[in-house]
Parts: sequence; C-alpha cells; structure tokens
Amino acid sequence: MTTAVKLTNPQELEAYRAEVKARRGAIAHTVRVCIGTGCAAKGSRRIFELFQEAAADAGADVEITSKCVGCHGFCERGPIVVIEPGHIFYQRVEEPDVAEIFRETVLSGRVVERLLYVDPATSAVAQTEAAIPFYQAQQRIVLAANGLIDPRSIDDYLAIGGYAALAKALTMPPEEIISEVEKAGLRGRGGGGFPAARKWRSCRQAHGYPKYVICNGDEGDPGAFMDRSVMEGNPHSVLEGMIIGAYAIGSDQGYIYVRNEYPLAVEHLKIAIGQAREMGLLGDNILGTGFSFDLKITRGGGAFVCGESTALMASLEGKAGEPRAKYVHTVEHGLNDQPTNLNNVETWANVPAIINRGGDWFAGIGTQRSKGTKVFSLVGNVVNTGLVEVPMGITLRRIVEEIGGGVQGGKAFKAVQTGGPSGGCIPAEHLDTRVDFDELTGLGSMMGSGGMIVMDENTCMVHVAKYFLGFLQDESCGKCTPCREGISQMLSILDRITHGDGQDGDLDRLQVLADLLAGTALCALGKTAANPVLSTIRYFRGEYEEHIKEKRCPAKVCKGLFLYEVVADACKGCGICKKNCPVSAISGERKQAHLIDQAVCTKCGACLEKCPFTAIVKV
Amino acid sequence: MPTVNIDGIPVEVEAEATIFDAAQKAGVWIPTLCHHPAVSNVAACRICMVELDRGDWRQLVTACNYPVRRDITVYVNSETAVKARQGVMELLLARAPESPELKELAARMGVKGTPYPTVTESQRNCILCGLCIRVCEEAIGQSAIGFAGRGVERVVATPFRLASEDCIACGACAAVCPVGTIQVRLHPESREVEISPFKSRAKLLVCAECGEKMVSEPVAGKVLEKVKLDWEEFRKRARLCPSCRRKRAAAALTQGSRNK
Repeated sequence: MTTAVKLTNPQELEAYRAEVKARRGAIAHTVRVCIGTGCAAKGSRRIFELFQEAAADAGADVEITSKCVGCHGFCERGPIVVIEPGHIFYQRVEEPDVAEIFRETVLSGRVVERLLYVDPATSAVAQTEAAIPFYQAQQRIVLAANGLIDPRSIDDYLAIGGYAALAKALTMPPEEIISEVEKAGLRGRGGGGFPAARKWRSCRQAHGYPKYVICNGDEGDPGAFMDRSVMEGNPHSVLEGMIIGAYAIGSDQGYIYVRNEYPLAVEHLKIAIGQAREMGLLGDNILGTGFSFDLKITRGGGAFVCGESTALMASLEGKAGEPRAKYVHTVEHGLNDQPTNLNNVETWANVPAIINRGGDWFAGIGTQRSKGTKVFSLVGNVVNTGLVEVPMGITLRRIVEEIGGGVQGGKAFKAVQTGGPSGGCIPAEHLDTRVDFDELTGLGSMMGSGGMIVMDENTCMVHVAKYFLGFLQDESCGKCTPCREGISQMLSILDRITHGDGQDGDLDRLQVLADLLAGTALCALGKTAANPVLSTIRYFRGEYEEHIKEKRCPAKVCKGLFLYEVVADACKGCGICKKNCPVSAISGERKQAHLIDQAVCTKCGACLEKCPFTAIVKV
Repeated sequence: MPTVNIDGIPVEVEAEATIFDAAQKAGVWIPTLCHHPAVSNVAACRICMVELDRGDWRQLVTACNYPVRRDITVYVNSETAVKARQGVMELLLARAPESPELKELAARMGVKGTPYPTVTESQRNCILCGLCIRVCEEAIGQSAIGFAGRGVERVVATPFRLASEDCIACGACAAVCPVGTIQVRLHPESREVEISPFKSRAKLLVCAECGEKMVSEPVAGKVLEKVKLDWEEFRKRARLCPSCRRKRAAAALTQGSRNK
C-alpha cells in the first residue's frame, strides 16, 4: 500500500487525515481479523483470505472491507474476528465459520451466538469486547489501537489520529516536550524504571554530535511478548514516539534493535518506516519544519544479554554483544561513544499519547511514583492467557483473578512470577500488592519488562528457581567472574537439591553467592540473576527444606523425590501400564491390581500418563 | 583536581583518573588481575571491587575503571569490600586451583582456599580475564586470539582453534597472563618457539656464531617492518646474539689497540 502524498506542513497532514476519514466513513462494513502471532498460529491468515474472497463474491453493492489487525491480547481465545458496525467480537473462529459469519453478520446484521465469548464463571454472553471481563479491568493506551488498525497501513494510523502528536511536538520548544514527559512521570518500561524525561534531558545536555536515539526491541524474557505485539500491531506509534524524542533530544539518527526471532515485527516496522519517509514524516525536513531524523532497523543475533543497553550498543557497533561498565552513562558516551538515548518499545509507544493528551492526564493514571499503564503478558496456569494493559496501581489479584479468570482447572494459586528471569515469585499472601515499580521491588521481585507467569499448586518452587537460573546461565555472556562462575555454582547447588542430594547449609551457600552476584556483577543480568532463588527461598523456604532434609518434593515435580504407586482399588488390571513401562518395573496378573517395583522404577511417568483409570498416583 | 579520600588518606588526582590510580598514589593496595597499564580496562575479573560513598548508601565499584570526576570517598578495606573481593577470589580459585600466582594473590587477600568444586578440566587454569586478548590486539596489533563461546562455555582461543596465522609468537600474552597459564616453550631440536596452549609455532632466529636462540622470526620481521629496515640487510648485520656481538666488538677493539 503506497501513498504518493508528501506532506510539507502540518496543515497538509490534517487535510490528508480528513480525506482518509471521509473515505473510511463511506465503508458500511468492516471485518477485522487479528493476525497477531497467537491468532496467526491458529490459522487467522487463512481466515482473512476467506473473508476477502467472500467479500469479492458478494459483489459491489455494499462496500465491505476486511483487514488484518494487530494483537487484541486475548490470545487464549484466538483467532479473533471483530465485525463492524456493532463491534461484534467473535472468538475461536475457524475456517468453516467464515461463511456463516459473512452471511449472517456482515450481510444480514444477525449475531452468530455460538462464536461469542461466554464467561465461564457467570455464563454471561458477551457480544462486544467491552462486555468481556478480560477487558473490563484493563486500560489501554499503548495497545489501544492494536485491534483497530492494519499495521501495514499508515492511513489506518492517521485515521485514528496518528502523527498528530508529532505535528504538535514540532511546534513546541524541545525543553517543553521534555517537561511534558516529566510531568507525565513516564518511567522506562524495559525493566529499570528510570525516569524517561531525566534521561532525555541528560542526553539533550550532553556534548557531542551526532546524538542517537535507540528503541530497544530485544525482548527476550521467557513467555513475554508485549513489545512484539506493539511492533507488530502498531509500528507507527513506536516511530512517532521516537521522532518526538529525537526532536526533544536533538538527534538526527535513530536505531530500532529488534530481536531476530521477530520477523513480522521487522517486516511491519520496515513498511512503516518506508511509509513515514515517503509522506515526509521521517527523513529530511519533517513536515517542512527543518527538523530531520531518520531510522534504521537492526536485527539482533539471538543473545538475551543484548537487551542490556550497553551490550545492545556494542552489538549495534558490530562488536560482540557484551555489556560494559556504566560509570559513564550512555547518555554521555553511548553508541559510537556519542550521546545516546535508549528506551524500550513500550516507553516510546507511550510518548504520542502523552503529547496529545498532556502530561497531567498521564500522571492522573497510576500510583504516586508509577504513572500510566503497564502491559503484561499474562501466561502460565491461568485461564485467560494473553496480553493485558492495566493502570499502574491495580492489584496483582485483580490481574490474576478478574482479568486472568483465576487458575486453570480449579487448582489453587501458588505464586505469580513477575519481572522475567531476573524477577521473583510472589506468593498468595502478597496478591493484594499493587503493580508499582517500587512495591514489586520491595517484595524481592520487579516490574521488569512485563512478563507475568501464574503458577498453580503443582509447581515446585525449587524447580522454578532452577529453571530461571538455568536460563540465565545459558544467556550469561561470560565476561565477568561473578555472573559466569557464580550462577553456575548456584545452579549446581540447586541441581543437587532437586536430585535429593541437598546438604545442610546449602541455603546459606546460595545466599552468600546471591549477595556476591548482586554486589559485584558487571551488568543488570548478573546483579539480579539471584532474584528467582532469593524470592523463592524467602517465600517458600519450607519447600526447599523438605527437598534438602526429607528428600521430598511436595509438588511432586523433582524426579526421584516422589514415587509412583498403583492404587489397588482403582486398578482394573488392564496391563496398559505394564506394557508401557520401559524398564519392566510393573508386574501383575490380568484383571488383578498391578504393582510397581520401586527398586527398578526410573520415575519416567509413562504409567501415569497411559493409565486409563487414573489408578497411578504420585506419592 | 578532584580529591579522592581512600581509607582516610586524601590524594589529589587528574580528572578522569581511576580509583585504582588514586589508590596507588595513596599507597593503598588493591588486588588486580585483568588490569594492565598497557591495555584498556574492561573490569571483567571484578577482583578490584571497592566501596564508593554515595552519601546515604555505599556502592561496590571496580577501582580499575571507575573514573574520578569530583571529590569522592572510597573504602578499600571496609568489611563489605574485602568480603566482595574474597568472594570473587573464591570463584576464581575454582577455575585455576593450581596456579601459584593466583594462590599467592589469594593468600595476600586472606583467602585460604575455595569452597566451590573445581570446574571441569577443559575450563581449568584460565580465569578468562582477557588480558592476553587485549595485549595481542591493542599493544601488539595482531588479534591472533579472542574469546569463543558464551557464559560458562567461554574460552580464549585462536580462530577455529587452529594454530593462528596471525600469531607472531612474540609471547606478550604469556608475559601478561596473571595465572601463568600461557607459556612460551622452546623447541631446540626444531629451532622453534611455541606459544602454549594456542599451538602457535614460529621459527627462531639463532646466533650465527654460538647458536644461541634470539627471537622468533616473525617478531623480528614485524619489528623491522616498523623501522623500514630491509630484512636481508638485517640478517647480515644482526646474525649474532648480543653476547657474541659484544665479544666480536671487544676482539676488534683489542685487535685495533695491538695494531697501534
């Protein structure tokens, strides 16, 4: 989709916007198909094609547009299709449903009841997004437009008011923009929570030319896809934020560093950059104001540590992605030793809204020290997995229970892990904690970039700590001693604990290493690496002690620390377990209760999985 | 000039000097491993941690690369700083438990041994400080070695772990190695010098008179490139070791005085 219009002043932008809106107004029906990663994986692209074919077949007497849109967040219920007029929200749409939706809803205005969302708790049927509990407690700024616009269409972005903030910002003195962001109280969404305005101001005041702005899109926390959805679903919002930031800072070159595993984000950003350039919103003499700024996309090489700002800059320079000391800040000496301002995708995407609606409006949302909203990817043992954007200050309980719909399968809640691999596990007794940078840190976890993993009663917390530490061991660059050696020593202690070889004093040993890492590691990856261990020891000490002293895993996860047994009353003697046991540990006559020889059993769990009568249990 | 107060001793240093520079001036000892005046600082080993006064709190920083920009107060021998350095040393001892150099430094730091199991054999004896790599790149200009692998898999290696074509067998890496792992070995039978463990070998220039080994041929070649001296001419002039050259000069002198 190319537009040949080159806008040379803000008035032309507004005129063009009016024209686009007028054109849109004439369209009677719109079918919006989510092509976010979750829905696309469930075949939404094919569904989109089918809608297009149906529209073509329907003839030209009604104008029907079907479009691909970004992630709606309710990935659990994908593929999602929304029909206008009426905002009718269809979920779990499959290919055979397309004809029915088209015939009934698009052409005849009737709702297909069976594709609507039904609240499992109340059995209430929701016809629109607004009626679904998953969305009700959310407040969307960054994700607001995601489900509305085609990420590959700049016209779509302009139609919802896109680039108005840029036009406004270009009439403001740079310092005034920074003051507005300061008033908003915007803090870095990448994990650190550093005040964005302070960073911008330091970079503006730093000596040196050129100055760079960077967007950190190297999202790599396990289970996190917040930034991915923004880059894929609304790339222009990131661009607009960056151009405003560059103008405020005095930079004429920017980079978007995207992790290599996000090809769709790269594709959509590339299209967006091309469109913005063509229309005079990026490049030389933006909107005729004399301000010039251009952007390049760089793809990461797959290293988690490159999400750390100095490692990211080293990677951009073509060097190995390893962090360096930040005693001299990157706002003074960053990329190519020049003043550099780096912010995360979500931070940049908040900027246009702040300029449009004012810092005071933004500061009106959230808590005293954490303003605005935060996007989380809500995953794990929760009913409604997906992407949620909530006002700061909302309790974890509301996120897990109201938005997330509680724990899957009616099991008991055990913990919620926030902050990615360097975050911590927060137990049930702290579920009423508010989402706030400082409060989460106080609990030994952190806001991080927004990963949120819900864990149920069948989760072994020692195993969880081991998983995250293992992830960090794999992702440590190995430059500094404490991170490289310390994590691996901690891991070997955890490893023996989960194998029933834990020793007295192991918890103290873990504590000593954790303190060492926090105090002496070079970068944030190493300094916070012990958080998953520390937070699980803090809240689930008893579970560690059971592993160490009684050689028992209470959640029955750690192999070797529990047994498989046949419940004689439930066993029908069908012999399936016996047939599937790889080590012939099971004996028993047909139609008689079977028995597992514990001396031979390797605890692989094949019997439990295969038993049709749930007669095998972990004890 | 900013003043650094180190363990109660005030010293003035140039702006942008490091805490380590200031400590040297104050006569306060701070252990180092990956620091060397000939190359840049990367603060990778973390053995030089000291405490920096931040007013209401103290921060552990690396002395070797913390730039002094204003008056600061630093604690080198506070309990926290000493404990941090000892903790790092214990981790390093698990990597190079046999190194006499490391054991000596550990003893001076009050570390008796390591509570940690020794790392696997393939990882052993190198503390990955990277001095050898930096000296090869920054001081010699060869970049014959580099880091390979990440995290616990990290090793110092030549490209593809084959004898490096860029190695001139100068031995600078061995000279700076703080744990004595890199060694220069002479092989008289083949007139070669070897840099171990990199498998790099080079022919040795030997004295035309006594046969004494002098320098690796590529090193001599590299040096002569720099002074733009023709190699063949040098061969003629400098084919003797310093001692034979001295003897010959002395002989020429005595010869001359007899002839007078």
